[in-house]
Amino acid sequence: MPAAENSEYAIEVQHLDAHYGERQILHDVSLNVHHGEIMVIMGGSGSGKSTLLRHLLGLNIPTRGSITLLGQDLARNSEAEMFELRRKMGVAFQGGALFGSMTVEENVVLPLCEHTELDEKTMRIMGRMKLEVVNLAEFGDLMPSELSGGMIKRAALARAIVMDPRLLFFDEPSAGLDPVAAVELDELILRLRQAMNITIVVVTHELESAFKIADRITVLDQGAILMTDSVEAVRNSDNPRIQSLLNRLPRDDAIDADEYLERLTGI
Amino acid sequence: MECTTRLENGFTVIALCGEVDLHFSPKAREIILKHLQDKNHVLVDLSDVTYIDSSGVASLVEGFQHARTHDLKFALLGVSKAAMQILQLSRLDKVFPIITHAAEADQL
Amino acid sequence: MSHAAQNPGLHPALRFVEDIGRKTVAAIEELGYVASMLAESCYWLIFGHRQQQPVRLRNIIAETMRIGVHAIPIISIICLAIGVMMAIQGIQTLKTFGAESKVIVGIAISITREFAPLIVSIMVAGRSGSAITARIGTMLESQEIDALRVIGINPARYITAPLLLAMMISIPALTVLGDFMGLLGGGLYCIIELKITLAIYFERCAAALSWTDISQGLIKSLAFAAIIALVSVSNGFQVRGGAEGVGRATTRSVVMSLTFIVIVDMIFTYFLNFA
Repeated sequence: MPAAENSEYAIEVQHLDAHYGERQILHDVSLNVHHGEIMVIMGGSGSGKSTLLRHLLGLNIPTRGSITLLGQDLARNSEAEMFELRRKMGVAFQGGALFGSMTVEENVVLPLCEHTELDEKTMRIMGRMKLEVVNLAEFGDLMPSELSGGMIKRAALARAIVMDPRLLFFDEPSAGLDPVAAVELDELILRLRQAMNITIVVVTHELESAFKIADRITVLDQGAILMTDSVEAVRNSDNPRIQSLLNRLPRDDAIDADEYLERLTGI
Repeated sequence: MECTTRLENGFTVIALCGEVDLHFSPKAREIILKHLQDKNHVLVDLSDVTYIDSSGVASLVEGFQHARTHDLKFALLGVSKAAMQILQLSRLDKVFPIITHAAEADQL
Repeated sequence: MSHAAQNPGLHPALRFVEDIGRKTVAAIEELGYVASMLAESCYWLIFGHRQQQPVRLRNIIAETMRIGVHAIPIISIICLAIGVMMAIQGIQTLKTFGAESKVIVGIAISITREFAPLIVSIMVAGRSGSAITARIGTMLESQEIDALRVIGINPARYITAPLLLAMMISIPALTVLGDFMGLLGGGLYCIIELKITLAIYFERCAAALSWTDISQGLIKSLAFAAIIALVSVSNGFQVRGGAEGVGRATTRSVVMSLTFIVIVDMIFTYFLNFA
């Protein structure tokens, strides 16, 4: 492992509020992720989990609160420090976000081209090694448009880990995959953590996958954290919202008749 | 991060140490390829390596490939558990000749 | 986008004023955005190397191929046709005065000063400007822009700067080509109608033209290049709302480019001639 980490947590989120325009998306979210941990952020659609991820990646700026990755406060980082930090982060986006104008291999090697001065041959070998890891060795010369959904996700993962990151973010790894491909991807995530000791944050709404790979799970609902705990504790939680999420029940909030009528009639 | 080389058993043993990462691996690559170009059989000693990343492994791959095309012997020596896991991830543990003692090099 | 909903009690006339106010603010905001984009691109072009994040020659060449080189056939054909057309019209008009031979002066000056840069820019705006907006919009929607940013690649450096530079190279170069093809087209008609050789035609063109005619066209073409690049890129980055949004932005981008090109052309023509 490279130089000892200088902070207790790999990721620290403190009292995060986020807005889109007037609408508040995240309410006072606080979250810590240990080094080498797999943290799954779980929640239904509209729970704010994608927004939280965008903030963790430094793509959005929070209205309040702070995010610290590997001991570095995103808000206080200079452009150059951010550039350095990005070398240590890998992100696999939900739809892959592979660059359509490049082959799969060029996609995977791109971070190396931009961040390192390595020999071109070395870069190519590194890229192909990662394609081996995700079982896409024969597909390096294809264009992203020629790949299936599962292959795109694996190629995106290869690109995310090509720099041997300390932090890996994975958005909806199993969404849109058939069960077998989803299980394979979960196993790949576990293998990666074991071999490279990466801290991994997975955002998902798939329970099966979450329970299988997570060390701890954070359940997000309507922009606030319901609980952050081990897989067992989340499974056994008696919080009704968590239970309905686990049992895939539709939302069953109490209805305030006056407020409801007002919403419908506008009076 | 110093590389030491010694002659042993007809092999040039290149001992890498410390962290073989993005900064150091270009140098390691250069040393390995230089010895191979001098037609030496090479053992790369990884026993003092605390961390090796994929750029380091890629340099080893390049060296091994060079050795094979030029009929030279090439093996890894004293691979640590951490390094082994990196090799296993891309199944390179089944590709490189890996030995535990320089003496075993005779059988290569 | 109905702002009226926020102030339902407002008098229609006031609502109209409010609307104008909002649109003005939005336009100024957009202008600011475009200006900062231009500044950022120039920053990366000049200082990128020092930050170890250079604007890649590879990207510039790829864009120049797409914008410039691939447009050579269509630009040639169109400018040739415009040249022929001008010769026909010119000779028809001048015949009434018995001054057909003066047509060459007319063709030479209006092609180099006006038509070549204008036609080239209109073609590139339609051909590449729309494609650029659509490409960036699609990249935004598929999170490719986010992917660039998390890799640590500044989109202004990786996308905008190469495009701007490629545009500034391609359009003046195509304008020179357009000058030549336009003159050639005029010449082809003149040798039939005026019974002169092509060599004599070009000799007269050369006599009629001064460097300022050609440089006027080239200065304009540089301005048009900047307009197309900035308008198409900024519209691309403002895409919201999926495939439909991409379509809308593409149309807006082309219309805006063309409008600005014609207006700027008018302003430039005035100042280059009288100031």
